[in-house]
Amino acid sequence: MNATGTFDPRAKALTYLIGSAAIILTLDLVRLAVISSALALLLSMVGLWRRWLHVMRVLMPTLALFALVAGWSSGYEAALGAALRLTALVCAGVAFFGMTPPEELGDALLESGVPSQVAFLLEGALRFTPMMGALAREVYEAQASRGIRFDGRHILRNGPLVLTPLLLSVMRFADDLAEGLETRGFGSPQRTSLRAYRFGWRDGALVGAALLLTILLVW
Amino acid sequence: MNPLVVFDEVTYRYRDGASGLCQVSLTIEPGEFVVVAGASGSGKSTFCRLLNGLIPHLHGGALTGRVLIEGRDTRQTPPYVLSRCVGLALQNPEAQSLATTVARDLALGPACQGLDRPTIAARVREVAALLEIEPLLDRPLITLSGGEVQRVAIAGVLALRPGVLALDEPFAFLDAAGAIRLRETLRMLHQRGVAIIVAEHRLADVADLATRLIVFQDGRVVADGAPRTVLACDVSKWGLEAPPWVRLARAAGIDATPLTLNEALELALPNGSVVPASPGDIPATLPVIAWEDVSFAHGDRTVLSRACLAAGAGEIIGILGANGAGKTTLLKLGNGLLRPQHGTVRMQGQAIGRRPLWEIARSVGLVVQHPGHMLFAPTVQDELEAGPRALQRHDRAWISHVIDRCRLESLLHRSPHRLSAGEQRRVAIGAALASHPSVLLLDEPTAGQDAVSRQMLRALLTDVARDGVAVITATHDTEWAYALCTRWAVLGNGRIVASGAPTTICIQPEVMVRANLRLPAEAAIRQHNERQAALR
Repeated sequence: MNATGTFDPRAKALTYLIGSAAIILTLDLVRLAVISSALALLLSMVGLWRRWLHVMRVLMPTLALFALVAGWSSGYEAALGAALRLTALVCAGVAFFGMTPPEELGDALLESGVPSQVAFLLEGALRFTPMMGALAREVYEAQASRGIRFDGRHILRNGPLVLTPLLLSVMRFADDLAEGLETRGFGSPQRTSLRAYRFGWRDGALVGAALLLTILLVW
Repeated sequence: MNPLVVFDEVTYRYRDGASGLCQVSLTIEPGEFVVVAGASGSGKSTFCRLLNGLIPHLHGGALTGRVLIEGRDTRQTPPYVLSRCVGLALQNPEAQSLATTVARDLALGPACQGLDRPTIAARVREVAALLEIEPLLDRPLITLSGGEVQRVAIAGVLALRPGVLALDEPFAFLDAAGAIRLRETLRMLHQRGVAIIVAEHRLADVADLATRLIVFQDGRVVADGAPRTVLACDVSKWGLEAPPWVRLARAAGIDATPLTLNEALELALPNGSVVPASPGDIPATLPVIAWEDVSFAHGDRTVLSRACLAAGAGEIIGILGANGAGKTTLLKLGNGLLRPQHGTVRMQGQAIGRRPLWEIARSVGLVVQHPGHMLFAPTVQDELEAGPRALQRHDRAWISHVIDRCRLESLLHRSPHRLSAGEQRRVAIGAALASHPSVLLLDEPTAGQDAVSRQMLRALLTDVARDGVAVITATHDTEWAYALCTRWAVLGNGRIVASGAPTTICIQPEVMVRANLRLPAEAAIRQHNERQAALR
């Protein structure tokens, strides 16, 4: 636990990974429903409910397709299980990323002796994901403005048209980002973490509890 | 005193074979304020990248000759060491926004130097105070305006305490208020002893601050001297546009080379005559597109509030306003990318309501700020045909006309992604026009464009309007819009606060100030002369 009263980002990351493993390994539908409900409760308590809804809206077609395929091959229980599992994973992801700013995680990893480039790789992936989303939206809007249709069956034929400009834009952004990093002296072998983190007994307890819960659920 | 920067017979070629610089030799001394000018592709950005070792360390390529920064050979010195000598603010400041909040972003450079936490905190406070961004420290970077992001990017490199600050086209995306603020910042930093290097083709923004003007063409230095001396030459032969007051002085046969508008006013230049005469308060013909009482909010932030605008066939309307005034939102409401939360958008008198985007695209073409986002086909020819085919209104004769209008004949078999920014813009306009729309919307079409591209664009849009298309362009480039538009519509506080001929708008200082608009030089001279005449 650190000075601000929240858990150490490393503890949160470990808990998230253990929780995700628990969700994937749990086969019982009732237990999966309990996990999903508990996570939903957590999301509403920490005020991340709207963000979860937004992510779910975006992922809904994928989720439906996934459940359909599982149902087709293994029956309705498998379909329900797949849907619950994906929902729970999204809940866990939203809770973790919503409660852990990328830089906190990066700083904590630096404190643990992880090389600064590796820490930034993770930090940057989290930091720039929303930016990539915005870029994808810009490209989609630019194409749609030309009359290219993406509704209904047209998405199958025209969807790939977005990829060329999107990939080029992402590559250009990656080049710009590399320059931006170099101009700030990022290649330096030493980097000071901006905050001190200490993995305290409460953090250990959080991870331990997650581990114990996982064993109980999976057993 | 040893020079800060030495280029000794420097020739550079990029990995893909593109030529960067050719036989460049120059030195820059402490305390200089250098403007590096040149058309797009002339070598300005390459020069900047060589200053702090991005070339060759990041970009590779073939470098001959020597670049010394404070006596260090850049080839032997890694960029993270050079970043303490040369701070480079990139053309795209968003790519330098590396953290989530301003304070953390400013701290990143000193943290990468391995400084201790109290020293990092002191550096953050120091640069925040220097650039007057203390109130922004806790703000997430994504909530900042373009001008604010630029100041944060400059502060971020200054936190490394470099002796040289280099900026690559820093004025490209700034409105008048942002540009004025940046000029003040550069002047202040120069007075504090920081050597400044600004790569810029918009000389009007910065030439008067400089102690030296270096012009690049095709990777070579073609002029180097005091700004007044260099600007006394015909800079158009290097693909540059002299500040408007210099052009007006030359047109009037005046020998002197004014560096500022005030100097020009003292020379009593005659009125210009570029501005179209049309009064343009109301479209001369029936409106082909009309925004009626439209309101739109992004979350809690109201962007447009009961805004009204109408455009007739053949009109060229400039939508002007400060960064964030709602110009892009108004355009997106025009082609259905956004739908008004209140009010109506009408095409040929019919409300577009919930009509699908592809249907609206038959009547309204939109060219977005980054034209590369619109282009996906393997060749320019395919690109021009993709839209009409998707909309099932392919017309070979019309496409030939568009090719002719946009001067794309020589580019037809090339990949749109390998073209220059100016060429890409023309292809994007051509792609939008190929579907035969009656309205063409453009978002900041001159951002990042050099003088030649801007002039070409002006001629192209004039021709497009002659074809009967209503052209509506959002821009903060008042010099360009003054010479092009039949009408200006000024956005402020979410609504159109003024609409009329550019000459009419320019004599309303309250409108110009409120919308952060820079008074075009020609309008300023016209007004000055009228005042003088009245006094006589």
